[in-house]
Amino acid sequence: MEKVLEVRDLTIEFLIEERYHQAVQGVSFEIGEGETLGLVGESGCGKSVTSLALMRLLPVHTKVSGQVRFRGEDLLTVGEPKMRQIRGNEISMIFQEPMTSLNPVHRIGTQISESLILHRNLSASKARAQSIELLKLVGIPRAEQIVDEYPHQLSGGMRQRVMIAMAMACQPTVLIADEPTTALDVTIQAQILDLMRNLTAQNRMSTLLITHDLGVVAEMCDRVAVMYAGQIVEQGPVREIFRHPSHPYTIGLMNCIPKIAGERTRLVPIEGNVPSLQNMGTGCRFAPRCPQAMEVCKNEPQEYDVGTGHKSRCWLHAEAGVTSR
Amino acid sequence: MTEALLKVQDLVKYFPIHRGVFQHTVGHVKAVDGISFTVNRGETLGVVGESGCGKSTMGRSVLRLIEPTRGRVEFEGKDVLALNKQGMRIMRREMQIVFQDPYASLNPRFTIGQTLLEPMKIHHLHNPRERLQHVYRLLDRVGLAAEYARRFPHEFSGGQRQRVGIARALAVDPKLVILDEPVAALDVSVQSQVLNLLEDLQNELNLTFVFIAHDLSVVRHISDRVLVLYLGRMAEIADSEELFTHPLHPYTKALLSAIPVPDPDAKRERIILQGDLPSPANPPSGCPFHTRCPVAVDKCRQEVPVWREVQSGHHVACHLV
Repeated sequence: MEKVLEVRDLTIEFLIEERYHQAVQGVSFEIGEGETLGLVGESGCGKSVTSLALMRLLPVHTKVSGQVRFRGEDLLTVGEPKMRQIRGNEISMIFQEPMTSLNPVHRIGTQISESLILHRNLSASKARAQSIELLKLVGIPRAEQIVDEYPHQLSGGMRQRVMIAMAMACQPTVLIADEPTTALDVTIQAQILDLMRNLTAQNRMSTLLITHDLGVVAEMCDRVAVMYAGQIVEQGPVREIFRHPSHPYTIGLMNCIPKIAGERTRLVPIEGNVPSLQNMGTGCRFAPRCPQAMEVCKNEPQEYDVGTGHKSRCWLHAEAGVTSR
Repeated sequence: MTEALLKVQDLVKYFPIHRGVFQHTVGHVKAVDGISFTVNRGETLGVVGESGCGKSTMGRSVLRLIEPTRGRVEFEGKDVLALNKQGMRIMRREMQIVFQDPYASLNPRFTIGQTLLEPMKIHHLHNPRERLQHVYRLLDRVGLAAEYARRFPHEFSGGQRQRVGIARALAVDPKLVILDEPVAALDVSVQSQVLNLLEDLQNELNLTFVFIAHDLSVVRHISDRVLVLYLGRMAEIADSEELFTHPLHPYTKALLSAIPVPDPDAKRERIILQGDLPSPANPPSGCPFHTRCPVAVDKCRQEVPVWREVQSGHHVACHLV
C-alpha cells in the first residue's frame, strides 16, 4: 500500500511557566491510501495535539520537531502559503465540538462555500450549488433551506454532518477526525459513523481517527496506535491489537471497560492517574501504574516488534522482538 | 430484598415556555411525562436514554431539587411531595445525589474537609468534636488519604473529585443515592475505579442506587434493573440481563444495536434510526417514538401505547409487542 502520510519522531513541547514540557515525544506512524488509522488514548495523552501539529495549528511558542511527510514534502517546514493550499483542500479536519467549530454568525452555506471559493476558484453561485449537493451527500434533509440557516438552528448530529460536508468539500486525500462522535448520542453516533465509513470508502480517503472509544476503533479502523502520556505505546493491525494486545496499558484499557454482552465480572481498573506534563519522570512512563513493572522499567523502552506490523513499547517484549528502528 | 424503598407514580414535570414582553406562557417542555417505577431496598435501578429524554429532570424531581408538576413520590411509605420545607430537609438525609460534573458541584472556596462537614452541620449529625473523625472515615472509605481534607477541589483530578462528591453524599448516611451520570466525565481507566468503589459501598452500606447514565455498557454493568426513557416517557423496564438479551421495544433494540462493540470480528446487525430526537416541547402524537421507529404502523401515530407487563417484571410501551 502506498503511504500517504508519514509521521516520523514527532515531538511537541509546550511552554509552561517558562519551561518547555514534552506533550508528545517521538511519535511515528504512517497512513496508507484508503486506510483508517485509529489514535486511541485517554485525555491528556497527546492525541489531539498530534493532530493539530500535522495541520500546523498549534499556538506559537510551541516547539515542534520531527517530520510529517505528505506528497514528498515535510509539512513542518513548508511555507505558510503552501500550508494554506493544503489545509482544508488536501488535508481536512473534523473537530469534536460541532457548535464551537462552526462560526455562529455565518450561514451554513457560506461556511461550506468558503473552501470551495478559496481552493477551487468557484463563483459564489456555483459554490452555493455545490454546498447544497454536499449537504445532500451527508444526508441532510431540506438541504436547499438548511444552506441558508445558522448553526444554532441545527441539532448536534446535523451540525456534525455540516462539519463533515465542509471537510469533504474539496475531496481531500487525508481526513483527520478528532473525536467526531464524542458529543453525540449513540443512535446519532451510529448514523455519523455509517456516513463516514461510506464517504471514506467511496473516495479512497486516508483517515486519522482520534478517539477514546475502543468500540469506535474496532468498528472503523484498519490499524490502531495506542497513546499514553505523549508516546505511542503500541501499534498494529486492528485485529492483532484486539486479539493479542501486548502492552500492559492496552491490556489494562481493555479490561477496564464494562462489556455490553457476556458475563458481568468485576472491572479490573488501572490503578493511579495519568502523570502530568510537569512530572513525567524517566524510564517507561506507564511503569508507576503497571502491574508488571520491573527493575529495567526505570530505563526508557524502545518500540519492539511483537508481530507483523505490530509494535510494543515495553521491556517485556525487548527479548522477543528486535528494536523496530 | 424485594421491599420497596422508593415508589414513583405518574411523575410529571412540564417546564413553561415564556415568550414576549409580558412573558406569557406559550407552551410547555414536557421533560418528564408520566413516569412510574419502584426501587427496592439494596438494588440498583439504571435509567438510560439519550439527551433530552428527561432522565436528569426525573432524578432531580424525585428529590424535589426541581419541583415536579404532579405525581406521587413515596419513600419508605411517606409521601415526599406533601412534605413542607422543614420536613423535606429531614427527608434529604435519607436521599442524596451525586452529580455528573465533579468540579462544578464542589464549592471551590471550601476545603474538602469543609465540604464534607457541611451536610453533617446542616443535619446536626455527630458531636461537633467527632465530626472531623467522621470526615477522615469518609475519605478513607472512598479511597482518599486523610490529609486531603485540607486541600481544595482544584488540587484534585476528575476521578478524585468524583470520590469527594460520593463521600459528600454518604456523609449523612443516606439510604438512597441518585447518581446522575457519575462517571460520564471520567476517562475509562478512572471510570472503572469509581464503578468498583460504588459497588463496594453498596455492598458494605446496603445502599440503594438510582443510576442515571447514557452509556449502556456502564448501566448494564452496575444495574439490577434498567428503565429506558424516550422523550420523557417510559419505553421499557426489565431486569438488566433480560433487557440486554431480549429487548422488546424497537427503541431499546436500536439503542443496543448502536453501541460500538470493542471487537473487530463482532457481528453487527445495526438498526440505524433515521432523523433526530423530536423536541420535547412539541412531542409527536401517539407513540413518541413513531417518527423514528423502523416498524411503526398507523396505530402508532394515533394512539399512545399502554404501559403493560409482558413477562414478570418486564414492562413495555409498544403497540407491536
